[in-house]
Amino acid sequence: MTDKTILTVDDLALSYGSNPILKGVSMQLRRGEVVSLLGPSGSGKTTLLRAVAGLEQPHEGRVKIAGRTIYDGAAGIDVPAEKRDLGLVFQSYALWPHKTVFDNVAYPLKLRKVGSAEIAERVQAALKNLGLAHLAERYPHQLSGGQQQRVSIARALVYNPPVILLDEPLSNLDAKMREEARAWLRNLIVEMQLSALVVTHDQSEAMAMSDRILLLNGGVIEQQGTPQEMYSQPKTLFVADFMGSNNILKGRVAEIRGGEACVELGEGLRLWGQRRNDAAVGQEVSVVVRVEQVRLAEGPAEHRVGIDLATSMFLGDRFEYVFHAGSALLRAWGSRQEASGRRWLEFPPDAVWVF
Amino acid sequence: MFQTLPRRAVVAALALSVFFPLGLVFYQSVLSGPFFMPAARLSLEAFAFIFDDPDFWSATKNTLIIAVGMSVIAIPLGAILAFIMVRTDLPGRRWLETPILIPIFVSPVVLGFGYVVSLGPVGFFSVWFEQIFGSVPWNIYSMTSIVLIAGLTHVPHVYLYSSSALRNLGSDVEEAARLSGASPFRVARDVSIPMVSPALLYVGVLVFFLGFEIFGLPLILGDPEGHLVLTTYLYKLTNKLGTPSYHLMAAVATCIIAVTFPLVLLQRVLLKSAQRFVAVKGKSARQRRLALGGWKWVALALIGLWLLLTIVVPVAGVALRSVVSSWGAGINLLEVLTLDHFRAVFEEDTMIRSILNSVLIGTLGGAVAVVGYLLIGLTTHRKPDGLSRFVDYVVLTPRAIPGLMAGLAVFWVFLFVPFLAPLRSTLFSVWFAYAVVWLAYGMRLIQSALMQVAPELEEAGRLVGASRARVSRDITVPLIRNGLLGSWLLIFMIFEREYSTGVYLLSPGTEVIGAQIVSLWASGAVDVVAALSLINMLLVGCGLALALRFGVKLHD
Repeated sequence: MTDKTILTVDDLALSYGSNPILKGVSMQLRRGEVVSLLGPSGSGKTTLLRAVAGLEQPHEGRVKIAGRTIYDGAAGIDVPAEKRDLGLVFQSYALWPHKTVFDNVAYPLKLRKVGSAEIAERVQAALKNLGLAHLAERYPHQLSGGQQQRVSIARALVYNPPVILLDEPLSNLDAKMREEARAWLRNLIVEMQLSALVVTHDQSEAMAMSDRILLLNGGVIEQQGTPQEMYSQPKTLFVADFMGSNNILKGRVAEIRGGEACVELGEGLRLWGQRRNDAAVGQEVSVVVRVEQVRLAEGPAEHRVGIDLATSMFLGDRFEYVFHAGSALLRAWGSRQEASGRRWLEFPPDAVWVF
Repeated sequence: MFQTLPRRAVVAALALSVFFPLGLVFYQSVLSGPFFMPAARLSLEAFAFIFDDPDFWSATKNTLIIAVGMSVIAIPLGAILAFIMVRTDLPGRRWLETPILIPIFVSPVVLGFGYVVSLGPVGFFSVWFEQIFGSVPWNIYSMTSIVLIAGLTHVPHVYLYSSSALRNLGSDVEEAARLSGASPFRVARDVSIPMVSPALLYVGVLVFFLGFEIFGLPLILGDPEGHLVLTTYLYKLTNKLGTPSYHLMAAVATCIIAVTFPLVLLQRVLLKSAQRFVAVKGKSARQRRLALGGWKWVALALIGLWLLLTIVVPVAGVALRSVVSSWGAGINLLEVLTLDHFRAVFEEDTMIRSILNSVLIGTLGGAVAVVGYLLIGLTTHRKPDGLSRFVDYVVLTPRAIPGLMAGLAVFWVFLFVPFLAPLRSTLFSVWFAYAVVWLAYGMRLIQSALMQVAPELEEAGRLVGASRARVSRDITVPLIRNGLLGSWLLIFMIFEREYSTGVYLLSPGTEVIGAQIVSLWASGAVDVVAALSLINMLLVGCGLALALRFGVKLHD
């Protein structure tokens, strides 16, 4: 733990009744870093964020922010949410409908007994920063979704919290706006040198926005690392499956040669791939290949398989080919339309993972 | 709001307000005499006395007959009414919605009085009917009439719950059944009605329970032929033995609570399961209404007849009776018109005081009660812990105590506790009893307003640095302003309507119209009762008009 660490979560556990949601989660956030909490629904990612915020009641573990312990189950320390000095951007934005944009953003400063002249100045600055200066007198319901989100961010930032928490920040925007907002938000976080913890269920959002990703599954951290590590070196089948678009095939290990294994997929299909666990010969395994790693090839060669193309679909920027691989479907991408029939597919062995 | 200490203080005050009067009733029931008599000692002789009294058993029998009878009448009628109003294309639905609910807001004692002056032996309608047809086939004082009237006037209760259940039922589930090949009739039988059956079951228990509480109607309609129910039996016990027979009254009260409290708990369980059913509803944005065709005239006639019998007849009777000097066969209405009754009311200090007190208790008292309910609501708001669950049950408890007995218990409290005694003959005692009796109702209004506030609006307040108290003050309460105004108006109407709770608290200075009517009725002052009844209805009407003006939903 270096002194650059601004948020430390240590072995945090939380249950709803007898139903454990977090089963001992540990993580760190460094100053100026964006960390995404990624996971399927029910994985505990939102609960973790809310526990850090003080909105959920853990029963074990420790949370420290900027050197201050705000939760310690053993020592009985539990700083209430309002004393934690954190900024949270809610999924629904949670703007107070009875207050104007100005009053929404000013409220945290009012609570901190800042003088009214300074409040006006700081709120104006915050709004200007987010391109909202002209909307100060509006009420939340008079704003668009994107504007509401910015007000919500302004409100969370106006008192300079050491860490800002974002709960599914892009999920309330429509698909088109989401990509723009993603770039805008990443830029804002980097420019303002914020330390941010972001909850998301969308892997591409997590990869685009963050310096590090924590993938949660069933209340524990399955793997953490940079987006590149998470994408290209998944440690488990779950991680491999969750990140990226995949072909997953069931098979049986036929042969092992060092770090590589040959998997029998049925119907005469055999693939060489990297061993990602210690499955022995004869054992049932799953083979994961990223869709973009599978290439259409001309004629037979090593690591190529002859297979039937069922159909090809136009996706806008590319075509997706669908193959019959035994009872399963196999997908690959390419740049031109292909008629159905026998084709050769190349599976680079370092892109085929055997779990 | 509230960190632990003020929170606990509110809960303690609440628990004391509910359990102390109730405990006093139980304590009194096992004494051999009124608690203020030094000779009173622990004994079960009060129970022995009432169990030995044939009147008690006939009252119990009558109560059961009324409770069952009115359920049998009110539930099918209310459910049909709800189906017609919610699911069919009946013309004029929007206009009928409010009149249907009116019986809920009219004091039963006023209604009962209205039936006597309209359909009694020399009632307006009876006399007219006799002039035309030669004789009157009904006897308003018979048990059958009482059951019938009780049933008809409780139709709105059934209507309220079944209509909201039907409204919550998305038409997608019905459309799914239609597409699977079910006829509209089969859809109703196989899908719609089973899906609202939890609500119907709940309302069935509710109406049965209300049958045990019923007081105003049997007091007025049951008296001439001596039909007692448990509440009127208790009321008559007041002076049965010459001395105040508090121990006997407490024993009767204990018996009633022994039945009503389990019913209240049962209602709570049923309501939860009914809501669970609603929770699985589909989108209810759009509902296709069933075309009634020619049946709409039948439906309209049915509703019209019901409105005539439950609203027009009694209300018109009261209004007419308040402006005629006397009435009977052969009297020309135009010759006996007079405003003397109102003059009499406004000449007597007691009457003026009762009107002013009623207004005061509805407006100011209603507002204070709403503030109190709000404080209780905020102590439990989004804090699902043991204390909140405790408050839940505390709030429910007064529901099981009919107003008459709650008023009696509060009267005893002010008699029993020396330092409270000076407050006994002030309006505070009446207000306190009202606030406790309507606690569950008021809390439901407040809680449904509080539930409208999205939790993250409050969490956002906490996150930016506001304590719970600050969040309540700056965010929660401002957001439910409209809900509070609506609650206040509804509480105003309920407090104006109330009559039984003030009966035992009636003393110079604490007169309210409802209790005054009960007491004057016993003395036979029909003229003044008529005038006061009309004034009472006008007050409720003002509240209703305001509520409609502000778009307050008349039900939660």
